[in-house]
This record gives sequence, C-alpha cells and structure tokens, in this order.
Amino acid sequence: MRKVLNAAWSVRKWRLAPAAVVVLWASPAIAQSERITFTDQIRPIFERSCWNCHGEASQLSGLDLRTRDDAIAGGTRGTALVPGRADESRLYQVLTGLADPPMPMGGDSLSDGEVAAVRQWIDDGAHWDEGGATSAADALSALENSTLPPDARDYWAFRLPTQATVPASVTYSHPIDRFLDTSRGEAGVEAAPKADPLTRLRRAYLDLTGLPPTPEQAAAFLADTERGAWERVIDQLLESPHYGERWGRHWMDVARYADSTGFEQDYVRPNAWRYRDYVINAYNKDKPYNQFLREQIAGDELDHVTDETLIATGFLRAGPRVQFREKDNPERRHDYLDDVLATLGRGVLGMTVHCARCHDHKFDPILQKDYYSMQASIFGYVEIDHPLLDHRDVLSYRAANAEIDAQVEPLRGEIATLEEPHRNRLRLELIRERFPENVQRAAEKPAEERTAGEQLLAAQVLSLNPPRQRVIDALTDEEAERHLALTRQVEDLDRQRPPEPAMAEIVTDGDYRFAPDGPGDEVIGCPECRTPPDAPGTFLYEEGGPAYEAPPSYFLIRGDPFSSGSEMQPGFLSVATYGDPPTAISRPGGRTSGRRLALAEWITSRDNPLTARVAVNRIWHHHFGRGIVRTLDNLGKMGELPTHPELLDWLAVEFMDRGWSVKEMHRLMMTSEAYQMASAHDDGAALATDPENQYLWRYRPQRLEAEALRDAIMTVAGTIDLTVGGKPIFPFVPPEILKTSEGKGHWDNQEDGPEVWRRSVYVFRRRSLGFPFFDTFDLPDQNQTAAARNVSTVPTQALTLLNNGFVLNQAQLLADRIQGEAPGDIERQVELAYELALMRPPTADEAAVARSLVREQSLVDLTHVMFNLNEFLYLR
Amino acid sequence: MSDHDHHHSCKKRTFWDRRDFLFQSGGGIAGLALAHLMDKQGLLAAAQSDTCEVPVPGNPFTPRDPHFEPRAKSVISLFMSGGVSQVDTFDPKQALIDHAGEPLAESVVVRQGHPGPLMPSPFGFKKHGQSGIDVSDIFPHIASKVDEIAFIRSLYGRSNDHIQATYEMQTGQIRVGFPSVGSWVTYGLGSESSSLPAYVVMNDYRGGPLGGPTDWSAGFMPAAYQGTLFRAVGDPIVDLQPPEGVSTEQQRARLDTLAKLNEIDMAKNPGNSELSARISSYELAYRMQGCAPEAVDTSAESDVTKKLYGLDDPMTEPFGRQCLMARRLVERGVRFVQLFHGGLGNQNTDTWDAHSNLKENHTLHAKETDLPIAGLLTDLKGRGLLDSTLVVWHAEFGRMPISQRGVGRDHNPGAMTGWMAGAGIQGGQVIGSSDDFGYKAAEQRVSPHDFHATMLHMLGMDHTKLTYRYNGRDMRLTDVHGTLIPQIVA
Repeated sequence: MRKVLNAAWSVRKWRLAPAAVVVLWASPAIAQSERITFTDQIRPIFERSCWNCHGEASQLSGLDLRTRDDAIAGGTRGTALVPGRADESRLYQVLTGLADPPMPMGGDSLSDGEVAAVRQWIDDGAHWDEGGATSAADALSALENSTLPPDARDYWAFRLPTQATVPASVTYSHPIDRFLDTSRGEAGVEAAPKADPLTRLRRAYLDLTGLPPTPEQAAAFLADTERGAWERVIDQLLESPHYGERWGRHWMDVARYADSTGFEQDYVRPNAWRYRDYVINAYNKDKPYNQFLREQIAGDELDHVTDETLIATGFLRAGPRVQFREKDNPERRHDYLDDVLATLGRGVLGMTVHCARCHDHKFDPILQKDYYSMQASIFGYVEIDHPLLDHRDVLSYRAANAEIDAQVEPLRGEIATLEEPHRNRLRLELIRERFPENVQRAAEKPAEERTAGEQLLAAQVLSLNPPRQRVIDALTDEEAERHLALTRQVEDLDRQRPPEPAMAEIVTDGDYRFAPDGPGDEVIGCPECRTPPDAPGTFLYEEGGPAYEAPPSYFLIRGDPFSSGSEMQPGFLSVATYGDPPTAISRPGGRTSGRRLALAEWITSRDNPLTARVAVNRIWHHHFGRGIVRTLDNLGKMGELPTHPELLDWLAVEFMDRGWSVKEMHRLMMTSEAYQMASAHDDGAALATDPENQYLWRYRPQRLEAEALRDAIMTVAGTIDLTVGGKPIFPFVPPEILKTSEGKGHWDNQEDGPEVWRRSVYVFRRRSLGFPFFDTFDLPDQNQTAAARNVSTVPTQALTLLNNGFVLNQAQLLADRIQGEAPGDIERQVELAYELALMRPPTADEAAVARSLVREQSLVDLTHVMFNLNEFLYLR
Repeated sequence: MSDHDHHHSCKKRTFWDRRDFLFQSGGGIAGLALAHLMDKQGLLAAAQSDTCEVPVPGNPFTPRDPHFEPRAKSVISLFMSGGVSQVDTFDPKQALIDHAGEPLAESVVVRQGHPGPLMPSPFGFKKHGQSGIDVSDIFPHIASKVDEIAFIRSLYGRSNDHIQATYEMQTGQIRVGFPSVGSWVTYGLGSESSSLPAYVVMNDYRGGPLGGPTDWSAGFMPAAYQGTLFRAVGDPIVDLQPPEGVSTEQQRARLDTLAKLNEIDMAKNPGNSELSARISSYELAYRMQGCAPEAVDTSAESDVTKKLYGLDDPMTEPFGRQCLMARRLVERGVRFVQLFHGGLGNQNTDTWDAHSNLKENHTLHAKETDLPIAGLLTDLKGRGLLDSTLVVWHAEFGRMPISQRGVGRDHNPGAMTGWMAGAGIQGGQVIGSSDDFGYKAAEQRVSPHDFHATMLHMLGMDHTKLTYRYNGRDMRLTDVHGTLIPQIVA
C-alpha cells in the first residue's frame, strides 16, 4: 500500500517526474478508433475517483462533477471542463499533474489508459450521453420524480399481514405453540420441559413489572393449586401499577426520552416527566396502541383534545435539541425534523426512513420524495409550553398577566430613562478599562470618522453593557430615590401576578420562524445579525384569525436546507400506502393543519403493513429475549428476516383484531407453553443444531436491564419506595463524575438514602451524563430511538456490583433485615438470604458454602454476594 | 495488604491457582467438568496466570488482526478543548500584519455578536529545526520537535458550536449518537491488555470538555467500546476498589464464595457461554484492581523522567502527569489514550476558548502543555515507542483571523492546524495550507473524515472496510467520505 501510494504520488507530480508523464503519453492503452462514451468509460472513473469529493456527498472547492453543466460551471478554482479542449480543462490538468493539486487526491491514480480516455472524451466534446442527466434542472427533476420499482411490494414487510391458519397439532393447543412446534419440527429440535413454578413466577414478575416477587408472593402462588393459577398471576401483574413503569420504560427507549435537551447547554426540561407519566399511565390503562400512537403524533389535533392527549405530543419533542437560534439555523430545524422522522420510522414503522433524507434509500423502496412528503406532514410542528388549566382559566391567567404587563411597562420605561445616560457614560469607562487603545479610539470617534475596521470594533464594544448595579450606583441621590420607588412599584405588581400554573411541554402547529426567543437565544449579542423570515406571519394560530397554514417545506437536494427543490405536499411512504388515505384531515376552526392527524391515521390504519408487525415484534422481544425479527427497528432488507413469518403475521392480525390491546398480547404470549419452558435445559443435539436457539427450544435467559437490576436490589433489600409517578429523582453520583460534564447540565445530587430509593424509571435522564450505574449496564444512547439494548459482559459491571456505595449499602440493609428476622441463627439467615434474593431455599451445597462465609466473615458478606450471583442477575 | 504493596502486587494477583481451584470447587465430577470447560475456554489459564496480560474468554477486546501491516499499534490523542488559534500557533500570517485593522473582505459569520477587523498575532514566530517550520514563541519545546511532526494546516470542520465541532473531531458527525474514533479503533483492533480498558480518556484537572461523556461514547456500538474515564488522582476508575470498611480479605472471601456458588449454578445451566463470561469478568475486575492503579502510578518513574514531563513545576504538572500516564498506559498495551486539555470551569480562561483575551489565554494553555507534550515525544522516542505510537494533536476548531473586541478571537471551523507524529510519519513537513488570512483551509483541504481515515490507516485499517452493522447499514467512521492524507501515509 505504502509503495503503491508513493509511486502514484510521484507519477502525478509533473515537475518531479517528467519521465513518468512521458511514458504516459507514449502508451495510450486504447485504440484511436474506439469511441469513448461517458457511460462505458468515463462514468466508472468518475464514480471511483471523482464523485466522492465532487458529487452527491460533497462538492469540495465548490465543484460538482455530476453533470456537464456543473463541470463547465466549475468551482472556486474556475471552470473544470472545456469541451473539445482537454489541455485547457482543469479536470484533465489535475489528472496528469499539469496543475495542482494532483488528482485524485489520496486515492490510486488513474491508469494510463484511463487518462487517455478522459483526454479523448473531452476532446470529442465531453458528451454526457446515454440518458445521463445533462443539467442540474434535469437531475433535480429526476430525483423528485423517481418512482418505485414495480416489484417493490413483493418484499414480505410491505405486504399486508394476513391471518395465517394456525397449524394443527396433537401436542399443543395454544396457537403460538403450534406455530413454534411446526418450525421446531422442521429444524429437528425439541422443546424443553416446563420450568419449575418459582422460576416461572420470577420470570413473569420481572418481565411484567421489573420487580422480583417477594417470598409472600411466591408462597401465595405456590398455594394456589386451582386451575388457572398461572393466568391469575398474569392478570394480577397486569393490574399492578408497576406494570406500566416497566413497559413504559421500554417505550421510552423507543421515544428517545430524556429530561434534558442535550448538546452544549443541556437545559433541563422541567416538565418532560409529565410525558413519562403519560406513557406509564397509558400502559397501565391498556390504552389501545393505535390510540396511543395517535395521541403522541397528533394529540393536539384529535376530535377530543385533553391535557392528556396534549402531554402525549411530548413524544415528538423528546429528542435532543440545541435550543439555540433554531430560527436562524434552518439546518437545525431540519435535524429536529429528521429526529422525529427517524423515530417514527425506526421506532414505529421499523423502517430506516431517515436514510432517504439525502437520496433514495439504497436498499429499501423508500424514495427521497417519500421522506420530504412525510417531512411536510410534520413540518408545521412547534414546541410550546402548555398551562395545565381549563381553557377559561388559561384565558384569565393570560389576561391577569397582560394587565400587570401593561402597568409595568411605563414604569420600566421610566427606569430605563433614568439609567440610560449613566449607562452610556459607564460603557465608555468600561471600554477604557478593558480594551486596548485601538478599540477605545474606535469607540470614542464620531461614527462618520471611523475606518471600516473601526466600525467593526465599535459595533463589537458599543453593544456591551456595564453591570446593572454599577449603573444604579452611579445615579444621583434624587434619581436613586425615584429609581427605588419605581423598582418597588414593579416588584409590588409582580407579586400580584397569578401563580405560574403547572406546565406541559407539548407540540402543536405553528411557524417556527416566528418563535419567541427562548433559552440560549439571548447570547447572540447581535439582534441585527438575525435572519428575518422572508414573509410576514405569526408563531401560532391566532384566535379568530385565518385558518392555519403550514409553512412551506421543500424537497431538499442532497438533504441540504439551502438547496431547495419543489414545494412538498404531505404524504407517506408510497410502498406502504394502500388505497388513497387523506394526507390532511381538516380541523374545525382551522387551528392546525390536520396533517399530523392524517399521518397518525395512516400509521395506525389496518392497511399499514408495518405498524402492527413492529409492535408485536417488540412485545415478543421483551417476553422471549429476541424478536421474531431480531432487528426490532428494521424490517427492511438490511434488517434480519423473521424466524417465524407466519407467526409474526398471525400475531399482528390478532393484535389489531383484539383492539390493539397490549395487555391482550401479554396474556396471549405468556400463556403459551413456549413462555413457560425451562431455560436450564441440557440438549446437546438441539444445541448443536440451533446454537442460537432461533427455534426457541428452550427459554432464553436475559440479563436484567440496568433499571430492573437496581430495582431488584432494592426490592430484595426491602428498601424500595414504590410511589408511582412525579418529578424525577437524582440518586447520588460521585462529584468527580459530575465534574466531567458540569457545564450547564443539571444534577440535583442527593445523598444515597430513602428519598432516592424509588424505581429507576424515575431517575432523571440527563443527556450529557448517563446515570453511571445504568451506563455500566448498557443504558442505550438516549439521543436516538433504540433498538434492542446491548447486553455486554465487562469487568466494570463486576466492579460496580462489588464496590459501588449504593450496592454495598443495600447489602448492609438486606443483612440488617435478615438479622432482624433471625438474630444469631446462621442457618436460618442463609435460608432467608436465598428466599429473599432468589425465592428458593439453598441446596445443601450452597448452604454449606454460604454458612461458612457468614461464619468466617459476616452476614453482609453473604448478602453482598447474593447481588452478584448469576442467578440473581438473570431472568431465566 | 497495605496500600504500598497493593501497587506493586499487580503481577501477583490471581484469582485461583489450579489446585486451589479444583479443591475449592469441591473436586468431584462437577468440579472436574467445570475445570475442563473453563480450561477449554482459556479461563483457567487466565486464572492461573501471574501477569496482567493474559487472554480471557468473552472479552470483547481480544486482539484482532488489522487489515494490513500497521505502522502503529496505539494512539495518544491530545485534544485541546475550546479551539486553538492556528494563526497564533502553527500557521503564521503576514497578511494579518499587513492588513491589521481592516475588515476581512468577505461576509463573515461569527459565533458571538459582530465580526471585528483583522488582528495580527500578539506572538512572534521563528523557524525551527532542519525543516525550518514556523512555530509561535509560546511553544518553545514543541518547536524543538518540529522535525518529528507533520503539521496539517488545512484541517477544517463544519460547525462553529463547541459541542458539535467536538463531536465531529471525535466521531466524524456533528450529531450525537455515533461512536468516537477511540471506539472504532478498539472495536477494530481490540486491546493488547486484558487487565486495562482498551480506550482510556483523561480529562483536564479543571473538568471534562464540553460535550462530556458523549465525546467518548460508543454511540450505536456496544457500550464496551466506549472510553473509560481515568481520574488523574486517586484510583483511576470509579468503584475500582472496595470502599473503606470492606477489607481486602473480606473482598477475597466474597469473591471466593461468589465463584463457588456460581460454579454450582453453572453446572445446572449447561451450554450457556454468557454465564462463564460473566464469571470471567469478575476475574478481570479483580485483576484490574491491581493493574490499573499500577499502570497510572507515576511515583515509580525516575526524577529525570518526571522532570522531562514537567512534574516539578505546578504549571506543567497536571498535564505532564497525564502525558506520563498516557505513556505508561500505551506501554502496557492500552490501544487508545485520549487526553483532554482545557476543561469546564470558566470557559474563557480554563479552556482554549479565547474570546476575551487571546494573549493571556493562549500563553497560559501553551505553557501548561508545551513542555509535557515535548517530553512525551522525547520519552516515547527514547523508549522505542514512538514508532509504534501515533500521536495526534488538534482542537475542535481553529479561531478567526479577525478580532473580537480587539482582544479575542471567535470560533472558526473554516481552518485549523492539527498535527501528527510518531508511527514512522515523516516529520518536518507542512501539509496543506489555509488562505492568506488563515480564515479558510485552502490547498489540500483535510476534513475530519480524512484525518480519521488516515489515523485508521496508520493502525493498519482500511477506513472503507472497518464497518459496524447498525440500522441496516454497514456504518463507517468516515461515513461515505474520507481520503487518506498522502504525505502522512507515504
């Protein structure tokens, strides 16, 4: 490699290696008679050596070589192509070392034959023949009007799921088992026997609530010998408020939920938790999944809008945001839109829709046009704070504030007038104190005498303000007295303001270009540097005003917000659209565009081939440790194929038939024999045939997720506070870790103690700093919708469980608990440790080992070991 | 065990020896079967080994072969957080003197407020070494190394926002959620050390860089590939040692019991490799407790070495110690060490972000890093490590040739200077150039993708072939971009 590059480098250096170039001239590799065509000879060269830097992905030096027009237009170094004159064409010159920099940069140089071909092609007129686009307009038109191949829908995921016939079976009655049994039979593996009752119980508890059963709950289950005990325990767990905490957390992975905004400022989202509680409640209430999606996508556009449905729209804004000059930075706005489309695409539709932002999808039949149609469907969304009051109360709240504003305004005006002359004088003093002489001179000169450079300097410093206190201190006695009186009046008025109501962070339609300044916007220091909107408008629909119209959005060439194509109309993924669903559903009063509602209706339609499949596949994944399609967020061609396609379709149809009830799906899956199989099952033949257990011949053990692990530790120690909902908590993080990302991020560090021994779903999710315990145990990236979580096995996990203060504290508390129940009785203590942590008595071997540890060390040594046991760390 | 011998016992700490192991597992058939199983997986070898360097099964960092013969096997990345001004360090511009006080003849987008006029550097420049490369007077020691350094004056990025720019230099993307270059390297090559993390990050003593842990995250890759933050004082890793109140003996007893109980459990759960991997992770953790503190313990170094890194001067001590730790880590097989200089606190003074006083700011930060970095290069070379270590130096962006209120410079992603050394790279060369004012990269522009592609190449990896399947795509550090810098890879 090194040698080749050296050679290539010197060949291209005309001045360094004239001989090489002579050789190049002397040996044209193609016969003169052969006609050079762009498609046959030139295009492959461009693809390999030019278009990486001068094509779709980037246009270094402003040069785009995709079309003849663009090549002639050239870049910052002038025209690249003079048709008919290879010697004068920069394109040719750089290829031969006649001009710098030699091309292609870094890659292998062209062969002699290729160089000769380029020369002849240019001399022949540089024709971009064979149907290739010849102008930028044509190229754009081709992009905007590209169509799907006729066989696009032949792929399984785009066909509507049909309810396959459940296979017949003599062994099994449950439909899921019949499907699984058929494929096991084909693979030649046999199902494991049923797991023992306590293993199944622990599995069901951890799976549905993320909490292990207590010894009492275990005893109750064992005591229930009536038929239907299993079904009853599932029902009980589904009724538990802790079910929503567990399954809501799964959804929050999909929703890339966090309590801070991310990026440099990482502002706290003080009311984000209301969306988190909405999700938990939705699961607890078994809100139909289609309704759940409708509320999150278009909760402000429904026929019956409530605070709950508005809070649901927090889904759309749960992703990372820069929170800084979005208005002036269309690229950020487009990144946010992309965040939403990626989340809907991967999280809800199982399609990498966002791959079509810059070009038609490379693998799946998703057009760039589809992307921008979907973008148009959501383009109007804006983020607002919504007071959680009755409409009437909102109006009176606003009116009361407006009245006070009106009284305060003239007072503030007078205060400003008093301060103004002092501020101007102090500003010059400040400039003299802080800045060099050339800056002082520029600031003090009359404006018309400043040089161009001085004007810039003056503008930079004259916008500075001295500290307010200095201005106040400079007031004369008389002024100061008046100033104080005015300030008091303002303070009195401010005290009369109505208390700030509870707020929710929601989304509705508006025009982001007119958004009021928010956090971060004030640091700009140059209001006139703003990019004003190019048309008049308002941020939000105004009561009694004309019907809302979404701001225009455009097809973006290569995804570049500054390269617009045609204006886009709302729409969906063409390949997954059956029939002709509406793309906007007009709303009474015209408050919103109804586009998101139409999008939600398309997504939750029975004619959408993706939504139900993705949903049941995720549920299956959590119950069985692996999706029927392993890639939960990608049912496309680059995802994996379903291991049991008929079963997946059957489940999808069942799901819709049963009113999109998630709890019904739990009942269905958990009552199967497959769910109740043993995981500890030795079958060498099956292991050899199907080592990955694709055919579910035994149950797949799963390591507890970060949150479940922390919750399980506290449950066993008996310390967990099971309060549901409310503001987030901030469990202790060592200060040296906080210091790694202090900045503007917030962590209200609390000492380890009962206040923070709440369930892990309530731990504040800070984007700039994953909670260390969770991070160690594979917390997914909180910035993108998550597929299946990684499960790693690394020594830092062992270190955390061995040495972390929280874990040791809980071990001590568990020891205290056991000591309290069986003081001094080591035999009983060991039994209790096993019963509490693992729901079973120890075997004789285990008891012997455990007792000797307690005898030689102490009880806490044993309780600490319990938290580290494989059996404790896994759901099996 | 006292703290003192704790540090020196790294090479002696083992979990079990074979006889003890068989004995403790109760002998018998189950014990033998387990021992056999573990032996097959190499676990027993790990358990018996008396050094820090043994292969351990289930380790995601098992060394992997590069694509071709590598030029270096490890990387030390020196990240100057806040943004270093190229025109005041390694890219002198006569035009700033000739046109001082004039507007830059283009519409200029600055990060903060209004653009100012052109401002000459407050520092002098001199030519150094055989190569005669210009270096600003604030880097006298790095100046003495120019013949070993390849300067890239045409590096450029896409964002003038600290965090986005930092992400871009770290991951190639200005968005969040992508693996850092250290993650890619350790994913591609694994680690030569089984008892130390493969990718170690050390922060400035004042705090972490903007962006925080996301800067060294593994993005969509398994979390194992993220950087492990080493602290500069105390135990390098949080939760490395048991807290006060838990004696070494107690921990030993807990681990032994854990091992025995897990063995009993494993016998009941055949054919589950994850369980044995988890058992071995405890072995690794235990080993780390001895090896990690030893690896960063600079007290064993000679006074000459300490002086070389400036440990005798409070100004250079913090970064000097980190540079010295970096050498020790690389020596022990850590694949990627990244040092951030400049950390949270007062952004304007505690990082290179010289909005309000360029002269003071850059003088200070140069002084803090100059001697330690030169010392690192000298030491690596003296120990024969420089040829196998790639040293890179850069910030997240450069700074504007125009002034901010006559005293500072605003962010400029359009041009910056970065450099590479070691790995057999031809030193004493200047690659690419910025325009006359140092405003935009001009000749042979080098993007972060190009920089990353070149880094991977030096480590024996083809950036187009190092892929990770995610989201239905074979993702790359360089996305669909990246061109090797020919003068570096030559």
